Amino acid sequence: MRGALGVRPPSPVACPGLPPLVPALPAQRWRPGAPRHPTRAAVARAPRHEPVTKRGAQPEAAVAEECEEEAVGVIMCASVKYNIRGPALIPRMKTKHRIYYITLFSIVLLGLIATGMFQFWPHSIESSGDWSVEKRSVRDVPLVRLPADSPVPERGDLSCRMHTCFDVYRCGFNPKNKIKVYIYPLKKYVGEAGVPVSSTISREYNELLTAISDSDYYTDDVTRACLFVPSIDLLNQNSLRVKETAQALAQLSRWDRGTNHLLFNMLPGGPPDYNTALDVPRDRALLAGGGFSTWTYRQGYDVSIPVYSPLSAEVDLPEKGPGPRRYFLLSSQVALHPEYREDLAALQARHGEAVLVLDKCSNLSEGVPAARRRCHQQQAFDYPQVLQEATFCMVLRGARLGQAVLSDVLRAGCVPVIIADSYVLPFSEVLDWKRASVVVPEEKMSDVYSILQSIPRRQIEEMQRQARWFWEAYFQSIKAIALATLQIINDRIYPYAAISYEDWNDPPAVKWGSVSNPLFLPLIPPQSQGFTAIVLTYDRVESLFRVITEVSKVPSLSKLLVVWNNQNKNPPEDSLWPKIRVPLKVVRTAENKLSNRFFPYDEIETEAVLAIDDDIIMLTSDELQFGYEVWREFPDRLVGYPGRLHLWDHEMNKWKYESEWTNEVSMVLTGAAFYHKYFNYLYTYKMPGDIKNWVDAHMNCEDIAMNFLVANVTGKAVIKVTPRKKFKCPECTAIDGLSLDQTHMVERSPA
Amino acid sequence: MQSWRRKSLWLALSASWLLILLRVFPVLRLAEPARRQAGAPQGWPRWLDAELLQSFSQPGELLEDGPQPPQAPRGGSCYRGACFDASRCRGGGLKVFVYPAVGPISETPRKVLTSIEGSRYHTASAAEACLLILVLSPDTPAGECHPELPQWDGGKNHLVLSLHPAPCLRIFQLGQAMVAEASPTMDTFRPGFDVALPLLPEAHPLRGGALGQLQQHSPLPGVALIAMAEERGGWRTVGTNFSACPWDGRCEQDHGPKQTHPRATLPNATFCLIPGRNPDALHFLQALQAGCIPVLLSPRWELPFSEVIDWTKAAVVADERLPLQVLAALQEMPLTRVLALRQQAQFLWDAYFSSVEKVIHTTLEIIQDRVSGASAHPSLLWNSPPGALLALSTFSTSPSDFPFYHLQQGSRPLGRFSALIWVGALGQPPLKLIQAVAGAQHCAQILVLWSSKKPPPPRWPETAVPLTVLDGHRKASDRFLPYSAISTDAILSLDAHSSLSTSEVDFAFMVWQSFPERMVGFLTWSHFWDETQGGWGYTGERANEFSMVLTSAAFYHRYYHTLFTHSLPKALRTLADESPPCVEVLMNFLVAAVTKLPPIKVPYGPWHQEAKPPLVPGSPRLRSEPRPAAQDCINQMAAGFGHMPLVSSRLRLDPVLFKDPVSVLRKKYRSLEKP
Repeated sequence: MRGALGVRPPSPVACPGLPPLVPALPAQRWRPGAPRHPTRAAVARAPRHEPVTKRGAQPEAAVAEECEEEAVGVIMCASVKYNIRGPALIPRMKTKHRIYYITLFSIVLLGLIATGMFQFWPHSIESSGDWSVEKRSVRDVPLVRLPADSPVPERGDLSCRMHTCFDVYRCGFNPKNKIKVYIYPLKKYVGEAGVPVSSTISREYNELLTAISDSDYYTDDVTRACLFVPSIDLLNQNSLRVKETAQALAQLSRWDRGTNHLLFNMLPGGPPDYNTALDVPRDRALLAGGGFSTWTYRQGYDVSIPVYSPLSAEVDLPEKGPGPRRYFLLSSQVALHPEYREDLAALQARHGEAVLVLDKCSNLSEGVPAARRRCHQQQAFDYPQVLQEATFCMVLRGARLGQAVLSDVLRAGCVPVIIADSYVLPFSEVLDWKRASVVVPEEKMSDVYSILQSIPRRQIEEMQRQARWFWEAYFQSIKAIALATLQIINDRIYPYAAISYEDWNDPPAVKWGSVSNPLFLPLIPPQSQGFTAIVLTYDRVESLFRVITEVSKVPSLSKLLVVWNNQNKNPPEDSLWPKIRVPLKVVRTAENKLSNRFFPYDEIETEAVLAIDDDIIMLTSDELQFGYEVWREFPDRLVGYPGRLHLWDHEMNKWKYESEWTNEVSMVLTGAAFYHKYFNYLYTYKMPGDIKNWVDAHMNCEDIAMNFLVANVTGKAVIKVTPRKKFKCPECTAIDGLSLDQTHMVERSPA
Repeated sequence: MQSWRRKSLWLALSASWLLILLRVFPVLRLAEPARRQAGAPQGWPRWLDAELLQSFSQPGELLEDGPQPPQAPRGGSCYRGACFDASRCRGGGLKVFVYPAVGPISETPRKVLTSIEGSRYHTASAAEACLLILVLSPDTPAGECHPELPQWDGGKNHLVLSLHPAPCLRIFQLGQAMVAEASPTMDTFRPGFDVALPLLPEAHPLRGGALGQLQQHSPLPGVALIAMAEERGGWRTVGTNFSACPWDGRCEQDHGPKQTHPRATLPNATFCLIPGRNPDALHFLQALQAGCIPVLLSPRWELPFSEVIDWTKAAVVADERLPLQVLAALQEMPLTRVLALRQQAQFLWDAYFSSVEKVIHTTLEIIQDRVSGASAHPSLLWNSPPGALLALSTFSTSPSDFPFYHLQQGSRPLGRFSALIWVGALGQPPLKLIQAVAGAQHCAQILVLWSSKKPPPPRWPETAVPLTVLDGHRKASDRFLPYSAISTDAILSLDAHSSLSTSEVDFAFMVWQSFPERMVGFLTWSHFWDETQGGWGYTGERANEFSMVLTSAAFYHRYYHTLFTHSLPKALRTLADESPPCVEVLMNFLVAAVTKLPPIKVPYGPWHQEAKPPLVPGSPRLRSEPRPAAQDCINQMAAGFGHMPLVSSRLRLDPVLFKDPVSVLRKKYRSLEKP
């Protein structure tokens, strides 16, 4: 035997058909922040609402509609018809009777109208209620007066962790692994003197609650909820009264020391000392805060969120590709501590044109809002557009650690240089900020230029791309912020269903381009384990027995499995089977399907599987043993004997399939091939599209489907082991079907 | 007639009323639930005046939130920027000084000291160090916790390291020092400043360490689903059809069939349940080693190296309060995820935990990453094979520059190679070889490393690709220096006396592009265990298997030059310099230790062998004689690595039509079969 085997090095020319490409199941990927399609529940619900409202306004118009809908209504329709026919009889009757009839019918009619009214009575209450809830004004919400002595929650417990302060029992068993979030109805809280505790609700908090309400997490059933979101707006601490707000929180119906309550805050603290977390006492409630420092942030319990920049909605800033820009470093913040200003001025003096330090404009011209204008000496710049002119943008601490400018900077694809010691970056629990930002300690501010200069250009471009992606996914809207926060909490509660680092951090382009090999660990399985041979057969018993006898001579064979695909005929009796040294099992199938060959049978106890046709008798036991040895060194690949090639046919504009002697191989026939049994599982349960059904319907091409599947998930080529004799295979004739199949599948493999 | 009419009227009347009643009753009955249902899909209301709502902040408020002076670090609360002065490391990178042990110390601290001293960051002078390490010994009496440290300076830039719970750590005035402690409790751990170490068993090896137990990717059929860590240190496997809560004392009776292996130190199961109490952290490493997926039940301790390792890829952190839910989730976990978790757990064991040296070097690497800021290891390098200790961030921070991450990155290595020809002490200018290599399809440049005593010839042959002559330093390991002149990912390493044809080079390069992390060579050696000598030997004899390829003609990634020069201990490189074959062995050891895979052999025309005497290190005739010192390097290297990293292969990769019975004209690499 010649221990030789072929390899097809995947060259760019030969490879496009087996896109190394995309993991098998990209469709289910969740992309946080991307506009999610409305959920089924929401779709089903939306049209229902409208008729209810209309019905309340015009009950009569709704009758006919109702008749079609309900079974009871059919009876009523009949009675209406009866009544309509009734008056036609009236002129034929005597006057005495006529009065009688008229009275009678009017009674009936009145009764019917009363019925109709009564029937819609509860609905109309409901709909008018609906109407007021649906379309009422924020000013009309119920008023709650807080007594001056109502309880105040304790201050936040700094040692809180999910397994100490969070009541996970409320989340219970949930097959979808989604937490249920309840939102308290909006109320207006006033102190004893009638002074409002805070402004009722801000635009952003309203958006936030709407986003939660529209998401899969929402439930309106307070008993089933696992997380509670108060409708008390805490986004800005400056616009609320701390003690009274705390009292308002404490009287929430399910408050219970704040357990499982989630509070959102973006601007914590107030003058003069500006705490880095919300000052409102909140006991055990989780805080999603913008501007945490490491001293107030409860790792694994709180969530650090961005400070939303209202400019995100106001200004349209098209994406600008990565690359070097006009200014190397830019500072656009206006309220900076004089010390920082001095440092910045020094930087600018040293590096000249490359550094641009902007400040407020002293004389604002024609109605441009101050937020949209920045000046350097006499030169005015549009903000945030100017951010797109810089490669790096400073994000310095102000009074607060969290700065809205971070959002603008990311959006401009400018790499943020974060100089705010101890700041816990937004979503730092899941986002890898090293990929999108540079964090510089405050005392190193004067060296910032040289630190940035040392970053290679390719890495800067990568960071620019990453910054823009973070903005698109997690910063650009209140909705994105809300959903990312809930996803983080959800992942803590259902860790086994958590989404991965790659899902959080990889931009879509990377996700599509990368392959994560399911068998990535370099391992050479022990030889002692051997392999399981699977022979798919229909009725060629004689040839089958020859194959069994041949295969059983292979030293490493540990089990032989015959898949009997013929439902009309019983397999031969036990005594007739050839006597071999390894266990032989016959599996009878329910249906004559080609996919049965690739079913992950429980009987397969080895990792290596040899799929062999019942007519492959030309392979010697040495060749099969060598094939197994080769598989051990490449357990994530298909190792086969007869090879095939796919080619792009320029004339026909589709893929074609080549079996003649060629210099390249991209497939091996599964008429005789070793592979990992995990691919059986993938073939049976995870095959994309309806390829599996197509194969079963056409009784062909299962080998191509398998080759595509393995190449798609591993991104690797097959290995061809050279047999001593030329292979005669029965399948080589069906070229038409095969090429058809290939186009079929190429359409399905997202390239 | 009248009566009939009356009757009919009554009938009509009663029928109408019946209808009315029929209509009303169900409505009355439905009224109550209908109200509740109508409320169900409500959600948060759409306010009429939503457009008029005020923003949460006033227009100017976000811009001017009142400047505040920078805060000074508060006492007791440290994080990297405040208490660790990274600027002291800026010039020459991280330099580590370790305080020598005072008096007799036990085994583990000694291993720690040895590991630190063997690190490439180590310096013997406290003055030039930017990180000073104090190793605490678990058996230091509490009274002697305060050694006199001249450089202590309030603990600034100090790391207090303890592999075992040391009583001193509780008493010690830590000041601004970082703490690297085994399984620290979450309450005292300062993320981004302290380092969480694994809790190692007493007899953890210094180097190399036990290999992972995982022999195959998927769990063996019939293996227990869950093993439960027991208090006395053993594991109890629980069958797949248990009912509930094996960790909850209350359901003790509900156990399914259970087996207890009191002596089995390594669990044999798919999932390993580990309670969250501190001492149970020891079980964690056992689970990793066994390739058993750790399921941590509300751990109260910080997971080791959590700053850089993404544990969600290798372990499941579950809430112990939800036993049924956790068990259901484990039972229903898709096979794809089980496979991924198992492999990742095993990879982490091999990369960071299997020896004291790896644990210590990982600790230093984490601090180095903090110092280097933007040029730290990306998360991918930490969390995929071969791990950050073997993927040097000094080489590059872009994963696609390394040979290991092309699949994940969707990239491929550069399609050209550089030929590096080493001309040894007595070498002649390899003119014929240069012509053969320059003719190869993908050759980008030729570099001649001139280490001969003779001066290089003034003129070199005209070639299609640029030719550069580098001056070597007469040392054998010179050939593996990371020369900046190398501009491609692939290097074809050659000796002056190598003989290769263009076809062979072309095909070997094609193969290398498929396996960029491995060495692809033409001539092979194999290693074997020599019973008579009680050591390893190697031979160039033709055998059915091989484990090394000769670097006198081999393709490999240029990253291995960097790794060879910067990560190997100096002792090994000095040893290798003593004899040229040793350098080749060392390079093969290095690549095998990184990839855990054998090299690849490609066809090599038999006619070449006549041209030059084969390099046979230990021919069978010589084996019985005492080996010369240079020949023994394989054993010294195995000792230096802590284990034998070489892996044997039994196959050779040939072109598809190699020796097939078709016309030679149809073959792409036709001169492979005949010169």
